[in-house]
Amino acid sequence: MSSGQGALTAELEKLLGPEAVLSGPAAERAYDCDAYTVDRSKPSAVVLPRSTDQVAAVVRWCNSRNVPYTARGAGTGLSGGALPALGGVVISTKRLNRILEIDVANQCLLAQSGAVNRKLSEVVRPYGLHFAPDPSSQTVSTLGGNIAENAGGPHTLKYGVTVQHILGVTMVEPSGEIIQLGGRVPGGPGYDFVGLVVGGEGTLGVVTEAWVKLVPIPSAVMTALVSFSTVRQATQSVADIIATGTIPAALELMDRGILNAVSQAFKINYAPGTEALLLIECDSDHSHEAMSRVEAEMAEVREVCERNGAIDIRIAADDAERAQLWTARKKGVGAMGRIAPSIVTHDGVIPRSKLPEMLDFVYQVAKEHQVGVANLFHAGDGNLHPCFYFDDRDPAQVHAVVEAGERIIRRCIELGGSVTGEHGIGVEKIDLMSLMFSIEDLRLQADAKRVFNDGDLCNPCKVLPNQKSCVEHKKRWRGTAW
Amino acid sequence: MKDLGELTTHCIRCGFCLESCPTFTETASELESPRGRIYLVRSAVEGKLRWQEDVREHLDRCLGCRACETACPSGVEYGSILEMARHRIDTERPPIAKRLLLKSLTSPGALRMSLKLGSLLPGKRIPDAVSHLISGHSAEVNRPIPQQLAPYTTLDEADMPPVRGEVFLLEGCAMRVLFPRVHQATRILLRRVGFAVREAKQGCCGSMDIHNGNVDEGVRLARDLVSSMAGDLPVVVNSAGCGSTMRHYGDLFDGGAAFGDRVTDISEFLLENGLAGALQYSLGLPIAATYHDACHLAHAQKVWQAPRDLIRSIPQLRFEEMAEADTCCGSAGIYNVTQPELARALLERKWRNVEATGAAVVATGNPGCHAWIAQAAEEHGRAVRVFHTAELLEASFRGELPA
Repeated sequence: MSSGQGALTAELEKLLGPEAVLSGPAAERAYDCDAYTVDRSKPSAVVLPRSTDQVAAVVRWCNSRNVPYTARGAGTGLSGGALPALGGVVISTKRLNRILEIDVANQCLLAQSGAVNRKLSEVVRPYGLHFAPDPSSQTVSTLGGNIAENAGGPHTLKYGVTVQHILGVTMVEPSGEIIQLGGRVPGGPGYDFVGLVVGGEGTLGVVTEAWVKLVPIPSAVMTALVSFSTVRQATQSVADIIATGTIPAALELMDRGILNAVSQAFKINYAPGTEALLLIECDSDHSHEAMSRVEAEMAEVREVCERNGAIDIRIAADDAERAQLWTARKKGVGAMGRIAPSIVTHDGVIPRSKLPEMLDFVYQVAKEHQVGVANLFHAGDGNLHPCFYFDDRDPAQVHAVVEAGERIIRRCIELGGSVTGEHGIGVEKIDLMSLMFSIEDLRLQADAKRVFNDGDLCNPCKVLPNQKSCVEHKKRWRGTAW
Repeated sequence: MKDLGELTTHCIRCGFCLESCPTFTETASELESPRGRIYLVRSAVEGKLRWQEDVREHLDRCLGCRACETACPSGVEYGSILEMARHRIDTERPPIAKRLLLKSLTSPGALRMSLKLGSLLPGKRIPDAVSHLISGHSAEVNRPIPQQLAPYTTLDEADMPPVRGEVFLLEGCAMRVLFPRVHQATRILLRRVGFAVREAKQGCCGSMDIHNGNVDEGVRLARDLVSSMAGDLPVVVNSAGCGSTMRHYGDLFDGGAAFGDRVTDISEFLLENGLAGALQYSLGLPIAATYHDACHLAHAQKVWQAPRDLIRSIPQLRFEEMAEADTCCGSAGIYNVTQPELARALLERKWRNVEATGAAVVATGNPGCHAWIAQAAEEHGRAVRVFHTAELLEASFRGELPA
């Protein structure tokens, strides 16, 4: 550690107390990336504040010393959103993990941003409520991280993504001011600043608390696991189900590549000859005849799958079996470590009718770049997650993965889709923004950013390309895997 | 033998382990998380971090509870990574005080002697000077006081099923000195399901040393144990920490795997051999009880259900599941001596969860947890009593808890 860095650490320790500051080679290493491991960049120090005031103090201190800072929750992000791109201070929200108020009558709660997604649902389960956004990382990922990336999840098909469930936030602005946007009651007049902050990837300030909306736990649920002998039959079924007008609660696809890992990890049984599985859930929270509504919906889904040549349809017999299926789905990418040392989970969106040809393209690209690919994704909303697996100790493979990923995203845009569905731009896709947006569009976005952030210290080098000093630094972090 | 570097590459940094890790949830620092520790070890293996200066402290602070293995979708063998990395660190720079502590615990003679000498000292805990030498902090753990034997009356052979087989019983190092009543109960319960114990002159299983990176000494003890229990009889173990290591002797030395396959936890063995049925005709216990999963039974041996099924078979007993039942209590072998502060924080968390059940009894399957939670019970006014699962099961046949 250089003496300059030592002095910075000492000042932070004075500000927050020594047990709230991590520094030195081990800390620099442990916080040099999130779950997107291709790009790495060391922080100078990591701070673990306990209050909004402490976060504000750190932000003001960073401003006074011209030190960049990046907020980090559980570090499960998949686009490098929590990467300290220009070094500086990582502000961990993990000690801001309290649920502050539960308002059952108005179906909402107030929590600090480091609270774990799953906790929000657990504390209100006795009231028959839950927090609907359910990213696969929900057992560990934080509310703040979900807000930053506008996280989705399987059930967002029916229930919407994070932005639809955030009523208000407390945020430390890049100036160091503490502000409130929105609040307990939805739908205030004026411009929707909460909507801007959610999905702002931590570039508009550091969110420390949020009011979140709670929704009733469905009173009736049916979950089916449908096997197909070709991926095309599965993707065609997805397109056809959506075309009927039925919106299942979740409609997920898993291909052979992911099944290899998942069946090892979670003992999921499926019919021999299966090349793709659809995990389909239908639910209803109607108080009246909920189950018959769900059964009717499932019958329709079933009919479509059979027409497309499904070889096996299994309905989860009880909650335990349903939970097991969801564990396999949600931890599926995590299980890929059984197959290779590293993965990059890509994220792109296409119109659902294009799923069959898009998947064909994904396999073709993987083959051409000689990288392994597995797919498990939110098929129902056309949100692809090609998961490349490789050995990050081989620079050639890292390069191939980045290239293959870019080709896939380009094709998503050609087909009328988007560069990301739910993982964010981070540093991973910064160069791809200009594929989707014109210079004018990007300028408008930069103007929107300046409403909150007119400097270049708050989570620099994310979302918008060509920021000051990012282009030259990028060489330093790109592909510095190990 | 496994390769340490290769083991670490199975971690893809998804982070799904984080909330399962007691030291991460206590400190909120990723340096004290499984993902962080694996990354540090991998970096040290690759020469990017220094073992002693950068990595050691964070491995020292790991409980070795292996809850992260239960959470990990990729099947990362964290326990092996920890043991191998500790071995590497300690071989390079042996921790003298820790080695002496291990030595005093893993030889029953030495343990008895040190307890006798200790009882002459004032206060309940290890003297501060000794604790500071080991951990740099004041002691939190009380000096253990050996259990009294129970005045169990002899079984009436006429009421017993015929003997249908024999087993070996691990007497262990600490268990036989500190918890002799647990062995008494274990032997009686084995007899109740038709098994006799074949006596063997035996020593320590090596688990304490192996978990703490002192692998060579641990393997020496393990080999001795294997030769003292030659043949193919089942080896019944009532101490979770020992059982977890013994099952995996195959990872440590040739010929260890066959022995490992013979190892079974007392709860599994009793359940498989019909104790639940026998319990139905026992006198029962009109109490509320809860169960604490020893980490090395749940996360390391994947035994969650058997002890619960047995306890639930006790007539009149009301079973109350506690929150975070399989979260470490902080005892963790010698952890409550080497890391008193974190161990204390975890004990208080465990205690809050125990108290919230309203149960009068906590059962558990490991001597370390047993003594540590019993210390909390004493400190909080003894409203709750702690027993080994075997003691509680035998109490049902007697119609009363041991005094």
